[in-house]
Amino acid sequence: MSKRLWAAAAVVVAAVALSASAASAAETVGSCILDEIAAAEFEGIEGDGFTAAKNLKTAYEAKVEGAEELKKDFEKDLEGCLEAPNPIIPEVTEIIWGGAAFIVLLALMKWKLFPVVKNLMEQRTQRIQDAIDDADRQRAEAAEVKANYEAELADAKAEAARIVDEAREQAGAVRADLQARAEADIAEMRERAAADVEASKRQAIADLQSEVSDIALGAAEAVLGRSLEDPEMQRQLVDDYIASVGAGQD
Amino acid sequence: MNVFALDFPPVSQLFNWPDFLFTDTPVALNKTGLIYIAALLLTAGLFWAAGRRRSLVPTGAQTVAEAGIDFVENSIIMQTIGPDGRRYLPFLTTLFFFVFFSNIFEVVPFIQFPANSRMAIPLALALVVWAIYHVVGIRAQGFYHYFKGALFPPGVPKALYILVAPIELLQILLIRPLSLAIRLWANMVAGHLLLVTFAVLSAALWGTLYVPAVLPFAALILLTAFEIFVSALQAFIFTILTAVYIGGSLHPEH
Amino acid sequence: MLALISTILAQLTGDGEAGLSAIGAGLGYGLAAIGPGVGIGIVVGNAITAMARQPESAGVARTTMFLGIAFTEALALIGFVVFILLLP
Repeated sequence: MSKRLWAAAAVVVAAVALSASAASAAETVGSCILDEIAAAEFEGIEGDGFTAAKNLKTAYEAKVEGAEELKKDFEKDLEGCLEAPNPIIPEVTEIIWGGAAFIVLLALMKWKLFPVVKNLMEQRTQRIQDAIDDADRQRAEAAEVKANYEAELADAKAEAARIVDEAREQAGAVRADLQARAEADIAEMRERAAADVEASKRQAIADLQSEVSDIALGAAEAVLGRSLEDPEMQRQLVDDYIASVGAGQD
Repeated sequence: MNVFALDFPPVSQLFNWPDFLFTDTPVALNKTGLIYIAALLLTAGLFWAAGRRRSLVPTGAQTVAEAGIDFVENSIIMQTIGPDGRRYLPFLTTLFFFVFFSNIFEVVPFIQFPANSRMAIPLALALVVWAIYHVVGIRAQGFYHYFKGALFPPGVPKALYILVAPIELLQILLIRPLSLAIRLWANMVAGHLLLVTFAVLSAALWGTLYVPAVLPFAALILLTAFEIFVSALQAFIFTILTAVYIGGSLHPEH
Repeated sequence: MLALISTILAQLTGDGEAGLSAIGAGLGYGLAAIGPGVGIGIVVGNAITAMARQPESAGVARTTMFLGIAFTEALALIGFVVFILLLP
């Protein structure tokens, strides 16, 4: 709290306390009656103050004429001391001060003090609400980012799996292809080799046949000595022979 | 007045204070008036201090003022009028704090006088409240409907209206403001009398018998705590009854 | 001196009347406090029952309880006012 406020509070407290001590020094019923008696003066009664009161009392008891009247008047005066205002009846001055204080306070509060404090409270509420909203939004955003990331991750995994599968497939295809090609090559080579062998065999047979027939011819020529004049006939003869030999062999 | 041979001050003297400023004029100032001014300064100072420091986490005066506003808003207006009663929040908050600070001087040392034990402010505030709830009712419902709703509450057998209507008229014109004023005033008078009685008893016993003075003094301490509670409770009841009356004028019974 | 004052006071207040009005004030306040005492007891007791049965509506019950107490108490306070007015 500020020093000025403390000072104001101290002034108020001091003023009220002073008024309290002033009030405690105020007249009480007893002092009022004492004052009244001290100032007493009666027509036809001797003395003043307490003496007069005492003399009045003795006069009254002695039933002196006129003493009863005087006593009644005196009693009325004393009764004034007892007559305090009824506590339930409001006092105008207090209504004026209290009412003025309340109206001033109400005006101050309504247009100056209250809106400031209330705005302060509302601003704080707004600020906290904003912070909560902001946090919520950020959390939602983070969740979204996470979901995206996870989706991407899943995508990537699927992609990787797909690539691996593809590669495996491709590898399989390539292998099958290569295998097929190799098998085909081998088969072709084998075929070619077989064909070669066949051809060579046939060639060899043919060669051999002609060689053999040449050799046989030569040998026969050598043996017979040009007996077979007609070479064409000789050849025919030999071939037939060989064929018969070959047929016999087969 | 003599009670057990103790000099007990007459009741009227416990509540009448001599004027010490502007004596014999209509604006004569006495202790009661000073306490009202103190209540004004305390409330204004509290809210001024609360509005000056703008910290996020409230401390000191700010806590008190904000707790008060929150209390009036949530525990009084929301429970009795409803959300459309927020318009009256400044008025009801002012009422609450002013009545409370006027009351609490009952237990403040060296002052020890509840300003509301004088009929001035209870009556004046009750009249203000009286005017406000009539104006609110007439503005919200119209003159005819307001008084019809107040005098002839629905749900009562028709024949009973002969009995009910005059009672209700008396109620809204006289009984409400008077009971409002008398409730506050009488509670404060009773509290002040209680404290005075036990204080006088303690002082007298201390002057003669010494030891037994402990008992009334202990009672005095307990009663002082009780009167703090009563001060706050009466401020609360004055405010909540005002809110109830305003709410009744604002929303007719169905 | 004090004796004189007290005799004057005794004469002034007129013993009998003052005594009667004091007795009347005391009796009046005592009688006026009976009804509200019972009434406030019933109000608070039922409010506590309500709060215990339905703690979630304790706020409303408490507010209504204070209102009921305030209205009931008014009767006792009127008795108190009469007491103050009758005091000599």
